[in-house]
Amino acid sequence: MREVAIIGVGHTKFGRLNDKSLLDLLCEASLEAIEDSNTSNTDFDSVYVASMLAETLNHMTGVASALVDRIGLLPAAADHIKNGPASGGSAIKNAFYAIASGACELVLVSGAEKMTHITLPGGVTSAVATMTHHNAERIHGASLPSFAGLLTRSYMEKYNVPKEWITSIAVKNHRNGLNNPYAHFQKEITLKKAMESPIIADPLQLYDICPISDGAAAIVMCDANIAKKYCDSPILITGVGQATDTHIIYEREDLTVLNALRICSKQAYDMAKKTPNDIDVFEAHDAFTILEAIQSEDIGFFKKGEGAKAAHEGLTEIGGKIPINPSGGLKARGHPLGATGVAQVIELVWQLRGEAGKRQVADADTGITCNFGGFGNNIVSILVERM
Amino acid sequence: MNNKEKLEGIKCKKCFYLQHISHLRCLKCKNDTFDTVEAKGDCILLTYTILHAPPMEFRDKKYYILGVVQFENGMKALGQIWPKENLIIGMKLKPIYEKVCNDLDGNEVNAYVFK
Ligand SMILES: [Zn+2]
Repeated sequence: MREVAIIGVGHTKFGRLNDKSLLDLLCEASLEAIEDSNTSNTDFDSVYVASMLAETLNHMTGVASALVDRIGLLPAAADHIKNGPASGGSAIKNAFYAIASGACELVLVSGAEKMTHITLPGGVTSAVATMTHHNAERIHGASLPSFAGLLTRSYMEKYNVPKEWITSIAVKNHRNGLNNPYAHFQKEITLKKAMESPIIADPLQLYDICPISDGAAAIVMCDANIAKKYCDSPILITGVGQATDTHIIYEREDLTVLNALRICSKQAYDMAKKTPNDIDVFEAHDAFTILEAIQSEDIGFFKKGEGAKAAHEGLTEIGGKIPINPSGGLKARGHPLGATGVAQVIELVWQLRGEAGKRQVADADTGITCNFGGFGNNIVSILVERM
Repeated sequence: MNNKEKLEGIKCKKCFYLQHISHLRCLKCKNDTFDTVEAKGDCILLTYTILHAPPMEFRDKKYYILGVVQFENGMKALGQIWPKENLIIGMKLKPIYEKVCNDLDGNEVNAYVFK
């Protein structure tokens, strides 16, 4: 397989972006990534667009075909990747193999979601809940927040963890997001305020849950042999993994274990010949605070049951043992579904290039992501290194 | 679909793994022959959540409780938990077939709830 490099990135502001359509957002991030990679006059072989709910929320199909037309990339191949909230990671994985195999040389990945215009109460929750198992889960009123509530209670009972330790993750991510100009929320919160916020899926509270956001993120990837032609500081993708788990969450032997993450992160570590000890920074998928805690365990940084404790003790802060979500994570950066997996990799690119400003992790050479689809039934991990 | 009178799972004829009725091949061994197993007796509550932000189908409810239960034969199920107070992990509950909501087309949806 050929080595694969990231040579440019583009990231719109995440948040409530009333005057921009899904396609506007995809174009904005894509053109920025093309400019950043100095490929404005170059033909692309392929374009992968990640968006989970374009049909449902934006009444739009053929998003990838529309994007290549609008930004002048005809006749590049164009595919729309839909893998729930892991669509971004899936699109990067597909682009990686397209280049690694030798089939493509220059590829654009662009992920976006436009969600905040849906004002019907429960509207977005219902659209997202279509991922759940119809007979076993959905007809009973299950939603993703309800799964996170079930998981949080199981975790607190099994490992004797106080809720404050889990919620401290939201406080840390808001503090990091303060220094991310692209974040949906750039404001600090206190643990006291978070612990007093309304209950959404008991024991989960409002401040344990990421917002619904608009936004887009794009990267340009190429054969690493030609990367220096375009860019002084290419970042290599050296590990990629993806795995699935049971559709029905209670069919897992232990609800608090993300087996798909254990498998896909091992694939990424093995491909890159790395271990968790080699990782300097981790972008987790904290759609709910509990997910960051258990992801930090199943991806190999902490023992089972100790992820929330580690966050509470400051081990996951910038400057800690393993900085997690210096970007602010989904909690503060926001969660435009299809954009998230791409935005996670962009944060690592900025960290590895040394361009992360006040949220810079010192001497970051290697990073990994967890992009979480369904409720853990489809997870992608991407491992990146400085060239 | 489930028979209204019974809460059923399926047990793989080859490896005996008990699983949800929707599987066409065994989750563990890919075998495609199963015996139907009926949940019998009481179940115990494994975990629960009180959901205050329901999906649209349940918008007439201010909140409801969802839980995962397990029967004596190992079969698990997810459903609404109807006692609203004094919920304790490990408490005993009984399955009852009831209306849980109207879907978005206005049709009545029935399912097992646990009392
Ligand atoms: Zn079997």
